[in-house]
Amino acid sequence: MRKVLSTALSAALLSVLSAVGSAYEVITVTNGGTVQGVVKLVGQAPTVPPIKTTKNQDYCGNSIDNPLYVVGKDGGLKNVEVFLKGIEKGKANPTATITLLNTHCMFDPRVQGSSTGQQIKIASDDPILHNTHPQNNDTNATIYNIALPFKGFSVTKPLPATPELIRVKCDAHEWMRAWIWEFDHPYYATTDADGHFEIKDVPPGTYTVVAWHEVMGQKDASATVAAGKPVTVDFSFTPKK
Amino acid sequence: MKRLSIVASAFVALALAAPARAQGPGSGGDPVKGKVVYERYCLSCHGELGNGAGEFAEWITTKPRDYRQGTFKWRSTPSGSLPTDADLDKTIRDGIYGTFMPTWYAIGEHNRRDVIAYIKTFSARWKTDKPQPSIVIPAEPPYSDASVKRGRAVYEKSNCAQCHGQDALGDGPSAHELKDDWGNPIVPYDLTQGHIKCGDTGSDIYRVFITGLNGTPMPSFTDSISPEEAWDLVHYIQSLSALYPKNYGPAAAK
Ligand code: HEC
Ligand code: HEC
Repeated sequence: MRKVLSTALSAALLSVLSAVGSAYEVITVTNGGTVQGVVKLVGQAPTVPPIKTTKNQDYCGNSIDNPLYVVGKDGGLKNVEVFLKGIEKGKANPTATITLLNTHCMFDPRVQGSSTGQQIKIASDDPILHNTHPQNNDTNATIYNIALPFKGFSVTKPLPATPELIRVKCDAHEWMRAWIWEFDHPYYATTDADGHFEIKDVPPGTYTVVAWHEVMGQKDASATVAAGKPVTVDFSFTPKK
Repeated sequence: MKRLSIVASAFVALALAAPARAQGPGSGGDPVKGKVVYERYCLSCHGELGNGAGEFAEWITTKPRDYRQGTFKWRSTPSGSLPTDADLDKTIRDGIYGTFMPTWYAIGEHNRRDVIAYIKTFSARWKTDKPQPSIVIPAEPPYSDASVKRGRAVYEKSNCAQCHGQDALGDGPSAHELKDDWGNPIVPYDLTQGHIKCGDTGSDIYRVFITGLNGTPMPSFTDSISPEEAWDLVHYIQSLSALYPKNYGPAAAK
């Protein structure tokens, strides 16, 4: 019994402490700097066979390109989430609603960032049933599971109260996958088709910049931001053979 | 006069009982006593650590619930929410039909209340999060052929067939390869069997597709099915087997 109580107590304490430790403070940022750069894939992208669709082929087709490695100009890698890890103060979080579209039997976008307090519009362009089922990437715990039974249907839902990496599936079409990084701050960007990213209005200081790719994992770099200036941080990922 | 005083004392008794009752079924239990109940009746399936891996778990499908995520299937609360204490009490009291989870009516309300308090110690989610308000289920309109027919149209429009199949046999195109949050295979229910897992009344069926079953592929249709359509859909499901209790209109309401 004592043990149960003390574990419960220390768990409660820990959660209070971590809540305090991670509180992001909003300040006025004038003349902030910019963290920018390119994420590249080194060498040849692994050949990934196309996704073989196993249901609704009349609408989805028999196969779909697998978007695990999307490489553009000069090896630029798309769909990498880049963020300032643990930044404690800066500009206010965005309030706009983010969107996740079910289209042609895939999610769009594949990867995006978001801030706590934002809402998400989940929509479908497809004339078949999808269900959008976000889960905590670490625990698999269901965040919610919403049916999108027909074309043109959409719902707007809040994101989870605390930041987490969210993996989204559609149970009805098991190949569908999306990733939503949720942060307690607004300093993140997803790389574009050429691997570029840009994080603006950063208060001067030294930060850990993290780049995350869904298959190749995470890399860190350190960046010192000066007022009103850009600092370039490039990343390269080498796929496992 | 005597009659009156009996009524009056009944009122007093009710008023006295009110503080305890205000908590509702399943609420306000003592986790210390609950641990004893748990070790006696639940541990063999749900495990010492509450991870669903008790000694019987190996021999059981569907697997016993892992309590560590705070994820529960049968709720009156919206998709993703924790269940209310009353939801947990109902599940534990009635059991989960067709699975190894028995009814625990026999242990009584007090023991259920305590064991619910104990189950909550397995997930930190109960400390940081609260159940969202329960959905409102409007009064059930009479069961009728017309309602069943409209319900079939709702079933089609809502594409339940994608998982449950054209004839609701649990054999839709997406019925295979489904997994639950714990990575175990799971199949859509064969709705023609005549009993769903957690309760057979109209409102039990109603809450399943309006709130969804957390931790499973079964999604929430609350945004796409109106309350009128929902009751028609319940009646359609009830028409699929003679074993479902049906509401044959006001005459049948005892
Ligand atoms: C013989 C095995 C067995 C025993 C004993 C058992 N359970 Fe279960 N329990 C299960 C199984 C199997 C499930 C999962 C059913 C499903 O998901 O379809 C379950 C699920 C549950 C759930 C989850 C309901 C939901 O909405 O997700 C609760 C709560 C629960 N059990 C409570 C208890 C309590 C309390 C006891 C002891 C008083 C107990 N169980 C004893 C097998 C058992
Ligand atoms: C993405 C697949 C999917 C879709 C779409 C779907 N279901 Fe389900 N449904 C399931 C699965 C899987 C289960 C089994 C859950 C379990 O046993 O834990 C289930 C279970 C059920 C149950 C039984 C619940 C119980 O307590 O036993 C009912 C009733 C039900 N679904 C109704 C519907 C209706 C009505 C629709 C359409 C409005 C629908 N479902 C759409 C996957 C789906």
